[in-house]
Amino acid sequence: MSILSIVTDIVERIRALLFRRSAERELAEELRFHVDMEEDYRRRSGASDADARRDSLIALGGIERVKDDVRDARGTRVIEDGVGDVAYAARVLARSPGFTTVAILTLAVGIGGTTAVFSAVDAVLLQPLPYSQPGQLVRLYQHDVNEPGSRGFVTPVHYAQYRDHMASFAAAAAISTYGEVGGDIVTPGGVERVRLLKVGADYLDVLRVPPAIGRGFQRRDEEYGSRSPSGRNEADRGASVVLLSHALWAERFASDPSAVGRTLTINGAPYVVIGVMPQGFHDPVVPGIDAWIPMSAAPGRDAQNADNHYLGVIARLRPETSIERAQAELDALSERLAQQFPDAKTIRASLYPLKQDIVGASSRALQLMFGAALVVLVLVCVNLANLLLVRGSEREREFALRAALGAQRSRLVRQLLVESVVLAIVGDVAAIGVARVAMSAIVALAGGAIPRLAQLSLEPRVLAFSLGLATASAIGFGLLPALRAGRVDPNETLRGESRASTSDIARGRLRSSLVVAQVALAFVLLVCAGMLITSVRRLGEIDLGISPANVLTFELNLPDARYDSAARARTYEEVAHRIEQLPGVRAAGGISKLPSTGSYNQWGVLILSGPFANDPRRGIKGGAENRVASGDYFRAVGMRLLRGRLFDARDDAAAPHRIVVSKNFADAMFPGVDPIGQRLKTGGPECEIIGVVSDVAINAEGAPDFYIYHAHTQFAGDRNWALSQVVATTRSPAAVEPAVRSTIAAIDPQLVVYHPAPLTDVIGRGTAQRVFVLRLLTSFAAIALGLAALGLFGVLSYGVKLRTREFGIRMALGAQSATIRRMVLREGLVVTAIGLIIGVVGAALSTKLLTSMLFHVKSLEPTVLIAAAAVMAIVATLAAYLPAWRATIVDPRSALQ
Amino acid sequence: MADARTELLQGTLEMLVLKTLALEPMHGWGIAHRIQSMSRDVFLVAQGSLYPALVRMKRRGWVKTSWRITENNRRARYYELTAAGRAQLNAEQSAWNRASAAINDIMNIRTLPARWAIEES
Repeated sequence: MSILSIVTDIVERIRALLFRRSAERELAEELRFHVDMEEDYRRRSGASDADARRDSLIALGGIERVKDDVRDARGTRVIEDGVGDVAYAARVLARSPGFTTVAILTLAVGIGGTTAVFSAVDAVLLQPLPYSQPGQLVRLYQHDVNEPGSRGFVTPVHYAQYRDHMASFAAAAAISTYGEVGGDIVTPGGVERVRLLKVGADYLDVLRVPPAIGRGFQRRDEEYGSRSPSGRNEADRGASVVLLSHALWAERFASDPSAVGRTLTINGAPYVVIGVMPQGFHDPVVPGIDAWIPMSAAPGRDAQNADNHYLGVIARLRPETSIERAQAELDALSERLAQQFPDAKTIRASLYPLKQDIVGASSRALQLMFGAALVVLVLVCVNLANLLLVRGSEREREFALRAALGAQRSRLVRQLLVESVVLAIVGDVAAIGVARVAMSAIVALAGGAIPRLAQLSLEPRVLAFSLGLATASAIGFGLLPALRAGRVDPNETLRGESRASTSDIARGRLRSSLVVAQVALAFVLLVCAGMLITSVRRLGEIDLGISPANVLTFELNLPDARYDSAARARTYEEVAHRIEQLPGVRAAGGISKLPSTGSYNQWGVLILSGPFANDPRRGIKGGAENRVASGDYFRAVGMRLLRGRLFDARDDAAAPHRIVVSKNFADAMFPGVDPIGQRLKTGGPECEIIGVVSDVAINAEGAPDFYIYHAHTQFAGDRNWALSQVVATTRSPAAVEPAVRSTIAAIDPQLVVYHPAPLTDVIGRGTAQRVFVLRLLTSFAAIALGLAALGLFGVLSYGVKLRTREFGIRMALGAQSATIRRMVLREGLVVTAIGLIIGVVGAALSTKLLTSMLFHVKSLEPTVLIAAAAVMAIVATLAAYLPAWRATIVDPRSALQ
Repeated sequence: MADARTELLQGTLEMLVLKTLALEPMHGWGIAHRIQSMSRDVFLVAQGSLYPALVRMKRRGWVKTSWRITENNRRARYYELTAAGRAQLNAEQSAWNRASAAINDIMNIRTLPARWAIEES
């Protein structure tokens, strides 16, 4: 066929479809004309009137048959039949509103939930990073040669070497992801804290995103960057440069292009705006950055210390370079650097695909969610299959009649499948509404625990997915009942009124096994949810070594443009002191990193006295956690002093450097001797231990770590520590917040009380991902439980209906209603019990996937299993009770008539 | 077949319709009768199969239709050959000529002497 004739063909078919009515009319007229002509012709050849008419119809072969053949020839048959099937299906479904409503609602929940989770999976796991050639982006981590696979920060010394010597890198840039970077921007309307990210000069070359306006960073910008807000070189204040995010530009400068070149005051220092990033640009690792400033690897104290790890490093591989080849080059370079820097001779580095690194841990969480959503959808489909089987039995006579009237088996099956598809499509429309709600719920629940999940939208691919899911479900729940209906034997069905045939028994068995499957699936979800609930509860029971309840925290930055180190030392003490005077406050202080919120400032330790004196092998792998404290920090977070004393007014900048250490540190480094008065070196100065405090967990999961505490009054000159403040209250943290704000404003109206939050919440962020999975999984388990109950209820109710006559006879023969009730209940519980047994096997398999999410919970913990089984059994009993009760109210007389 | 009239060969109906319409535009009944009479009543056109064939030919763009008034003053659907239809007729005509010549050649070969025949066991 030529293109032209294909086009004519399609046009003709469409025309036939659109003008079907007139085509039919014209066809009728044409055939009438034909028969008239033929009749006329035959009469003229001598036939009688009656013969002429009859023979001309025979010659044509019957008007209706020709019409049918012509309709076939039009090539619109499939569509016309399809339209007919759909219309018929709609009528059939409208006739049973109860069934249709249940079907559409459960489908909406099943498809909607799965679609919503898919949109999250898509956004987080499937979509590439939003940069050009994202496959070339890698993240570089350092690790100790004895701890391969660990992912540690990078020293500035190594970063400079990697950047300059790695031929596999098209570009590499440091990002100081180390903790949150805040900056106070001074505007006429007051001071506002924004999120700043310090990055290497080649940052935009790595991401391949040019600024929307202005220019990006250049290598020479890094020199100025060394005098950045938290830089050490306070005396020297040249103007630095800043790149604005599109949002900040729109907000602060009303999207005025002339903003580029203007000077902005950040943390009290002048910054020249050199450019604006395009809308929608985000840092791949740290979301929500408002402005970028250059960081520097120029000489400074940290920059020469090859054992000070605090940089994140991202790089772009050259197009033709594989990550394996780049890794090989990096290995060789690491060996050379180990020779070159003796104090870092055990340091190696590895590359990871950037996307995998960002998504990493959350992919398991999302896979779990997706699995759970699919289980719910399967449950929905099983439920519908069951309902359709019931309908199938009730419509058996209809099918038999149609088969007897000549409907082909395939035609019947098709008609029933069309009914399922219509249901699924309508269900899908409702599901999109459900998905919308579920998606915003997922975003809200995730609460930053999952990267790249800031927003979800119903993109075309998500919609396509849900439509595909609906079609698959339609086949999933519709095929079996449709095939069964196709097997109807018209002879038998139409002859007898008898209901309890062998096919009914087979069908009953099939339906019961479907319910068994439902119970098993719901049980698996219940067990998974139960294990997570137990995990989260055990997490809450852990002793972190602090009492985080009723402690308010906030961040307070003293910009070094206006506060030199002496002023910072003085002000932080004053802040703590004045807040402590407020009513309802027990104690207040500051700390460089809030307790149990992770690792920070891990510094190497050299012991100078005691049994391990001057033994460089006696260190702490990865260094000890160093913290800088102000005010009454230890008391504010509920830590106990075990020996010696805490910091006080004696420990000022002029005094010898003194430290307080954690008990486990003292035990490990000074075994058998009094730790008080012992000496060590860490982070530069030589220090003397004056006190020992209780151990504190490094994070919410409760592993304690070695801590060294410095007094801010002594250590303020080292850098701007931007201490987080802690306020222990007798009432709720929120109640004292206004008073705290006004106290800070009284000290300096330009200071910002940033991120006020209860300490429990801040620590809880460490478990946020687990809690997120828990909440979603619990919701899915609850839905699954409901569906299983619905399935059980449906099967038992129908069973009771079929056996009305039997129950009537039993009652007539004197059976007690309790006996009959027990019969039905037992049937329900047998089905449930079989489901539970299969479910245990399923749970054993699926909780393996859950292991990384669990905390102090053995897979298949008996208490969880028993609790889940009990819930299932109770719900099953409730679901079985109504049908059981119905069986007892059968009136023997009417049942037997 | 006892009847001297022969059913049309599969697939030749369309070719004959094209040929008929090449003479002049015609309605369905006319086409059927024209074929029958042109074949000196040898071919029996199953009138019922004519109309589906016409629909298919229209879909392929070989014919176009219009409603006209017959000499007996009745409305009838007339079929008319298009340029594509004419090209199709030429193509089928030459294919037919080649095929029928070949078939004639085969049918006219005299039967081989009996001794060449393969014995049946």
